[in-house]
Amino acid sequence: MNVIIIFILHGLVYAGLLFLVSSGLTLVFGMMNVLNFAHASFYMLAAYFSYSLLKWTGNFWLCLLICPFLLFVIGALIERFLLRKVHVLGHLHELLLTFGIAFIISEMVKWIWGTAPLPIQVGGFLDGNVTILGIIYPTYRFFVLFCSIMIGLLMSYLLLKTRMGITVRSAVDDSEMVNALGVNTPRLFMFVFALGAALSGLAGVIAGPLLSINIGMATAILVDAFVVIVIGGFGSLIGAVVASLMIGQIQSFGALLFPKISLALIYLLMAIVLITKPSGLFGEKK
Amino acid sequence: MKKDSKTTQILGFIILLILFSLPFVAKPYTINLLTEMIIFSLYAVSYNLLLGFGGLLSFGHGMFLGLGAFTAGAMLQRIPGLPFFGAVLLGTLTATVIGLGVGCLLLRHKGSYYALLTLAFNALFHALAIKWHGVTGGDDGLPVKRPNINLGFVELPMFDVTVFYYVTLVVIGCAVLFCWYFTKTAMGKTVLLVRENEERMQFIGYNPAVSRMILFTLTAFFAGLAGSFYALFFKFVGVDAISIDMTTTALLMTFIGGTKSFFGPVLGAGFYIYFQNFLSNLTDRWPLFMGILFVIMVLFAPQGLSGLIRSLVELFGRLGNGKTFRKEKNVSGK
Repeated sequence: MNVIIIFILHGLVYAGLLFLVSSGLTLVFGMMNVLNFAHASFYMLAAYFSYSLLKWTGNFWLCLLICPFLLFVIGALIERFLLRKVHVLGHLHELLLTFGIAFIISEMVKWIWGTAPLPIQVGGFLDGNVTILGIIYPTYRFFVLFCSIMIGLLMSYLLLKTRMGITVRSAVDDSEMVNALGVNTPRLFMFVFALGAALSGLAGVIAGPLLSINIGMATAILVDAFVVIVIGGFGSLIGAVVASLMIGQIQSFGALLFPKISLALIYLLMAIVLITKPSGLFGEKK
Repeated sequence: MKKDSKTTQILGFIILLILFSLPFVAKPYTINLLTEMIIFSLYAVSYNLLLGFGGLLSFGHGMFLGLGAFTAGAMLQRIPGLPFFGAVLLGTLTATVIGLGVGCLLLRHKGSYYALLTLAFNALFHALAIKWHGVTGGDDGLPVKRPNINLGFVELPMFDVTVFYYVTLVVIGCAVLFCWYFTKTAMGKTVLLVRENEERMQFIGYNPAVSRMILFTLTAFFAGLAGSFYALFFKFVGVDAISIDMTTTALLMTFIGGTKSFFGPVLGAGFYIYFQNFLSNLTDRWPLFMGILFVIMVLFAPQGLSGLIRSLVELFGRLGNGKTFRKEKNVSGK
C-alpha cells in the first residue's frame, strides 16, 4: 500500500515539472502558431545557471528568484530580435529558427559546463525527509509539488480573472482579431513567449536537484512535453494539466510494473489518442 | 529554357566525369571523404523530398537511416555468408516497411503536428536501440563487417577504398537520379501540388493524405538505403545513427544546401561533410559553428547555398543584360 502511495507521489512530482514546461509551450503554440523547439533548452539553461549561482552564492532561494528572471529576459530578446524577423517567412522558418537556437544553446552548455552530469545540493530544511501517514518522503519532492501547484493556481487566476488573461485567451483563439481590436499583439506575443521561457526556467531550477543536471535533460523533457501537448491538444491549458498527470503516473508506474517497456508506454498512449481523437483530448478541431 | 537545360546536361556530365576519374589522382583519404559525401547526399536528397517538395517538416528522418544501418549490420552478423547487396536489401526493406507503418499513423497530420509526431517516433526508436542490447549492442554499438561482392566471374575486394567508392557512386548515384526522376513523374507533381494547394487537389479528386504517405514511405526507402551504406562504410553502427542528432544532420545539410532546388541538398551534404572535417581539425566545438551558420542562414539566406548561387548568376545575367540594353538604347538614340 505504502509503495503505491509513494509511486503516486513520484508521478505527481514529475507531472508538476512537466506541467510547468508544457504549459508555456502550449500557450505559445496557441497564440503564435510556433512550436518552440528551444523551450526545453530554456529549462536546461536555467538548471545550469542555478548550478553556477548556487556554487557562487550558496543560496538556493536566490537561484529560484534570479534564474527564471534571466530566462524571461533571454526569452524576450529571442522573440524580439530573432523570431519576429522570420515571422514574415512563415511557420516553417520560425520552427527552423527555434530549432537552431536549441542546437546552439545545447552546444554552448556543453562548451561552458562540460558534458559530465553535475551534482547539486540544495541545503537547508529542503534536504530532509518528512513522515506523513507512516510514509517517509523527501521534503524536496513535496516542495516541487507545492511549487507546481502554486504556479498552476496562479496561472489559472491570471488567465481567468485578469484583463491580461482575457487578452491572452482571446489571442489564443484568434490573434488577428485581437490585433484588429487594438491590442498590441506583437508585445503580447513577446510577453507570453518570455513568460513561457521563465516558467520553463523555473522548472529547470527545481528539476536540478531532483533529476540530475546533464546535457540530455532538454531532449528528455522536450519529447515528454511534446507528447503532453499532443495528448492534451494544442493550445489547451486544461489539456496540459490532464496529460501531464497521465504521463506522470504512467512514467512512475511503468517503471514499477513493466520496467522493460516503460519507455514505450507513453508513446503507446499517444498512438491510442492519435487514432481515436487526432486533435487531442481537449483540442479544438482545426 | 532549352539552352538552360543543355548547360545543366553538360555540367552534370562534367561532374560525373570528374567523380569517375577522381580515384586515379586523389589520395585514399579524399576518396573516403567523397564516399561519405555521396552517402549523405542521398540522405539529404531524400529528406528534401519531404521538406522541399512535400513541404513537410519531419524530425524523424534519422530513424530510417538508423533502421537501415542497424538492420544491415545485425543481419550481416547473424546470417553467415549474407552477400553485400543482401544486407543492403534487408536494411532498405526494413526502413521502408516501418516507414509505411509510421506513415499510416501520420496520415491525417501535417505542419507542426507532423514535426512533433515524427520527433516522438524518432525518440521511440532511439530508446529501443539503446534498450535492445542483444541486437543493437546498446551504447557500445555494433561492429559491421563488409563482405566482398561476388559477380560470378570476379570477386570485388570491398576493403579496397576505391572499389567501395565506385560501388557507392553507382548505387547511390542511381538512387539520387531516381529521386530526381520521381520529381518529374505524375506522382511527384501531385506531391508538389498538394503542398501548394491541398484543398484544390482534394476538390479535383486526389487524396492528399495518401500522396503524403507514399512520399513518406519513399523517403524512408532512400534513407534506409543510405543507412545500409552508412553501416558498410563506417563498419560500425552506434546509437548515434538513429538519434535525433542524425535527423538534425539531415536538416542542416538540406537547409544549408537549399530546399528550393533538387541538387541543393547534394551541395549541402558535400559542404557539411567538408566543413565538419575542416572545423573538427581546428576545434572540438564544430557543432556550435554549424548551428550558428544555420541560424544565420535562416535569418538572412533562407534559400540556402543554391539560392545564393542562383541569385549571383541572376545578378551577373542582369548586369550583362543591362549593358546590352544600354548599347541598344544608344544605337536607337542615334
